[in-house]
Amino acid sequence: MPPTLTAAPSLIDLSLYIPELRTRKKDTALAELVGRAHATGAVRDAGLLLELLRVRERVGSTALGKGVAVPHARSVTVLRPQLVVARALQGIDWAADDHAPVTLILLALSPAEWSEEAHHAFLGRAVGAARLQKNRHRLMAAASFDALASVLRELSA
Amino acid sequence: MSAATAAPPAPPLPTAVHLADLDLLRRELMDPAARARLRKFGFDVDGLARLEAVRSRTAAALEPRWLALYERLQMRYGRAVAAVRSRVCLGCFVTLPTTARAPLGGETHLSVCESCGRIHYWG
Repeated sequence: MPPTLTAAPSLIDLSLYIPELRTRKKDTALAELVGRAHATGAVRDAGLLLELLRVRERVGSTALGKGVAVPHARSVTVLRPQLVVARALQGIDWAADDHAPVTLILLALSPAEWSEEAHHAFLGRAVGAARLQKNRHRLMAAASFDALASVLRELSA
Repeated sequence: MSAATAAPPAPPLPTAVHLADLDLLRRELMDPAARARLRKFGFDVDGLARLEAVRSRTAAALEPRWLALYERLQMRYGRAVAAVRSRVCLGCFVTLPTTARAPLGGETHLSVCESCGRIHYWG
């Protein structure tokens, strides 16, 4: 059974939270998110993972609209499932259908050994956590990592 | 007049790993059930042709002998590259002999599992 955000506390890790991305470009934002995952040991080769995420964005944007993007990858270079959360208060153009700049980004990473279903279950929880307006507002308004983590745990319970 | 020296071939492992990642994504996007799930989540999954183009370029960057090995393993197992964690091949879950070592980087060959034959990626 795939782990849930609540069942696997390591998925919500203080070191994997970026309160404010400095960039306004999608590519740089992805690089910063991947760099953070790499720095904490969740990813072996940041360059290969970043390239995969770029390809995924070329296939189709991972922006969900309403200011949220959930870039995702299942990769041999990912050592453990991980969620990296970042806020971009200035907004980033993520080629969303509604043209809204992205302010909340949840990078969902799964190892290649995970089944497609397990990866999608994990991805679905990340998407579900950010889809409702009131949830997005709570995530964006979280004053600290603890507050954000508690919102994510509550939403995925 | 000196002949221009050819650039040495790129280490095959990163290319093989990238190809394996692209094939995982490709299989996901070609599976109608998976596509439906991704669409339901709200993702755009209509650019499969762009993925095919990247896949072709990446495959072309592998030396023919390594590409043949990769494709053969991909055909046989569905996943040609297996990570190695704690000395265990995550393709066949056999513990590697103590003589097996993580490559130092920059190798011009691929190391394969003595048990299942998959290409090893030490993580």
